Amino acid sequence: MLKGAIDYAPSTFEERGAAVAFTTPLLSQTRVRRGERTKLEVLIPALSEGMGTYVVPWKAVPEMVPMTMHDRYLHDLIVKEEACSPQEIRRATLKAARRGLAGPQAAQAARRALEEDEEQSTLTHYLLLLSILKAVGLESPEMLKAGIGTEEGQRLTRQLMARAADSLKLEANLLYARLAEVAAAVAPVGLAQSPKPGRLLRGMQELKGFRDSMTQWANEVPNDAAPVAAFCADVAQHTIGIGDAILADFQRRVDAIGPLMRDWETDFAVIRTHARRMAWLLDGWTHVTGAWEVALAEDRQQQALTINELFRILPLLPKKESRVDMLGAAKRVKSVHRRSVRMLEDWRTGEMDVDAIRRIELVKARTA
Amino acid sequence: MTRASGTGKASGASPSARAETGTTPDLLPSLEQRLLAIPDDKFLEVVRLLERVNDHPDVRQTFDSIRPRLVQMRPGRRPTLKRVLCMPFEDALEGVGGGDVPLSRIERRVIAPLWGIVEERADRHQLDQLDRMVQEVAPGDHNGLLNIGRRLWPLAAQTLRAAMDDDRSRQALWRHLHGDEGLQRQVIDAAAYLDIGLSIEALKSDLSPKPVPELEDRHIAAIEQAAQAVARQSLAGVYPLLLVAAARLATPADLLRVLNDLDLGKARRDQPVLFAQLSGLVVSNLEARSARLDDRASAGERTVVKPADAMATAERLIASVTTTSTVMDALHEPLYRDRLAAVTSAVGAMVAESVLDTAPQGILSAIPAPTPDRAPEVDETAQIAAEDHARALRRCDRLADTLGLRQQVNDTIKRMGQGVEQRAQALLQDYPQRLEDAAATDAAELNLFYSLRLLELLAGSAKADPLRLAILSAIGESPEPE
Repeated sequence: MLKGAIDYAPSTFEERGAAVAFTTPLLSQTRVRRGERTKLEVLIPALSEGMGTYVVPWKAVPEMVPMTMHDRYLHDLIVKEEACSPQEIRRATLKAARRGLAGPQAAQAARRALEEDEEQSTLTHYLLLLSILKAVGLESPEMLKAGIGTEEGQRLTRQLMARAADSLKLEANLLYARLAEVAAAVAPVGLAQSPKPGRLLRGMQELKGFRDSMTQWANEVPNDAAPVAAFCADVAQHTIGIGDAILADFQRRVDAIGPLMRDWETDFAVIRTHARRMAWLLDGWTHVTGAWEVALAEDRQQQALTINELFRILPLLPKKESRVDMLGAAKRVKSVHRRSVRMLEDWRTGEMDVDAIRRIELVKARTA
Repeated sequence: MTRASGTGKASGASPSARAETGTTPDLLPSLEQRLLAIPDDKFLEVVRLLERVNDHPDVRQTFDSIRPRLVQMRPGRRPTLKRVLCMPFEDALEGVGGGDVPLSRIERRVIAPLWGIVEERADRHQLDQLDRMVQEVAPGDHNGLLNIGRRLWPLAAQTLRAAMDDDRSRQALWRHLHGDEGLQRQVIDAAAYLDIGLSIEALKSDLSPKPVPELEDRHIAAIEQAAQAVARQSLAGVYPLLLVAAARLATPADLLRVLNDLDLGKARRDQPVLFAQLSGLVVSNLEARSARLDDRASAGERTVVKPADAMATAERLIASVTTTSTVMDALHEPLYRDRLAAVTSAVGAMVAESVLDTAPQGILSAIPAPTPDRAPEVDETAQIAAEDHARALRRCDRLADTLGLRQQVNDTIKRMGQGVEQRAQALLQDYPQRLEDAAATDAAELNLFYSLRLLELLAGSAKADPLRLAILSAIGESPEPE
């Protein structure tokens, strides 16, 4: 069943797999991907010494590792839904957390996150609609005054959108369909003009805060984990660099909504690819930045332990995404700071550590 | 911040408004409770204003009552000469509220007479000069304060010692201390800290932030170097220095563990005496901390101690007892064995009462019993408390042997597990009656999953799994067959 540790150097995000927010400490942030013959498989890093990663058939995981009730539920859900993209995994994770199996605080956070998704989706849809009208010179104070939720507002909107469709030389229905598609693709990232940043834009801001905090810690704290913190900051910085570039192009294309509606086939494909790439790029970081926020309120020894724990699950960029050899750099950090980088305890006999599980659940409650 | 003052009632104005307008602070005591409740930024503003009239007795009393919040928030207080004077022995000052008992206690009430003696008897010119300097120092400028301390601490130590040595002064001093021998001893102790003020401050920076969770090699090296430097100056200074070091550790007994291996330089010959003094103090400190548990019990406080807090206290105390016992046993020193056993027993009693006896109420009552004529309700606050209690019980399991509570802990965990299972089964049987209304179905399912979580926390995932499968089967979400 266990193929043995492989030297794990994924080329693409898909090959790297999507991080799953399990609460079992050993499985926390392990990655799921579609393997040979499209079967799901899980990548469990560094079970013992070395950088090796074990590739385990997804269905076999519960037999190998004692899992929390939350994780068994989530595992079943991922099997049922054949989920393996960050978006699909997130949906399954929120559903499991909403069941209360990661504790009441995580359940509350999941409920809030689902509500926010809903709100963000409506808001993005509305803002894009206004952008279309603006692009064809049909801004209407009357419509804004009436509000889109009222009958009068909707009547005015339909009228204006019909004129916009004419102006764009499109069928009105097609314009609505394209608007809905753009909104669905854009909502997780969010729009620059939105009063509330989207989830992935927020993720980028948090990642920048994490980079700064790690850099500061590495410079100021005399601890064995300081070079590990510097490495974490470095990986964050590379990710931010790529993310900023994607976002700039994404924003530019979404802003040009008129041309987008006309040159639909090419432009929309790029926007959707950008949005998906952002999701992959930030996949796994929410837990990392959230865990660090929790650790900031703790003493430095606990912070050092957290940094070493984060090193194990750090979302390194795949080879095709970055020219920097992240895996090689991680190996160097690990070999120099072997004493500091804590290995996982024996996972075969490991009894459930309720305190470690609680820490993961608290992060989940902050980051849903 | 400032509210309109036309209400005709002084108590209607905010504290800052009155401080700003120079109103006498005799109404402050009635505002103390409000000061504990206002938002952080307002609180800091009030503290800054009150500091300007710090010498008024009511203001001092107000500071005493808001000290827990000051300790928690640590606002950058305006530096004063009196505050600089206290820096070398601040780690030995008694705690606030329910905090732990520090080693070698110097009571806060000694500060006023101590400062009074220094103000009255030290060279006026020098004091005035230092006072002008301290007013120039910005809050948070530690180096600025050290520069003043460098001159103030030797001056104060010398003044206190001169007052003690001279017969006539001693009588005056006695009056200052209201004939309290305890206070007199504490003044002498404080003078010993002041003698080595700079060395203490350097060591404090090496042992920061407090509490140092684990004594690492670099900490040990810093203590050793500081002790050698102090021993060159005065052998008597080594003991207070070691007390500061111990006081900054999460487990002061850790210092005992390494003490005999330290190279104390010129104080090498005093090592056995220092060890005996320090170990006696550590054991007395543990006794004082366990006595505080008894005090809380007799004051009826035990019922409000949260199980998680009780376990945190128990773990800290038992870690210290264990380290101290290990050191004593290694040295074949049976002197403290009974006293340490008494501390352990007091901790055990506290744990039994706060975590074990309260478990049925704390855990089982969070699972609602089905009520046929009412829609199910979910109480997430109760669930959070119950989960915390269950986790405390698991932590208790780790200490059970040490505390002599093995049987009691096993029985409680078993009883709680059975209780949760019974209640979960009742919810399962009731579930089909909840399918007509979506909200009721949601609530019933959440209650089922929450009971599953409690069982998992108490009995582990393997024992909870059959309940998981039963719930999934009831709600139509059974896992896919292999």
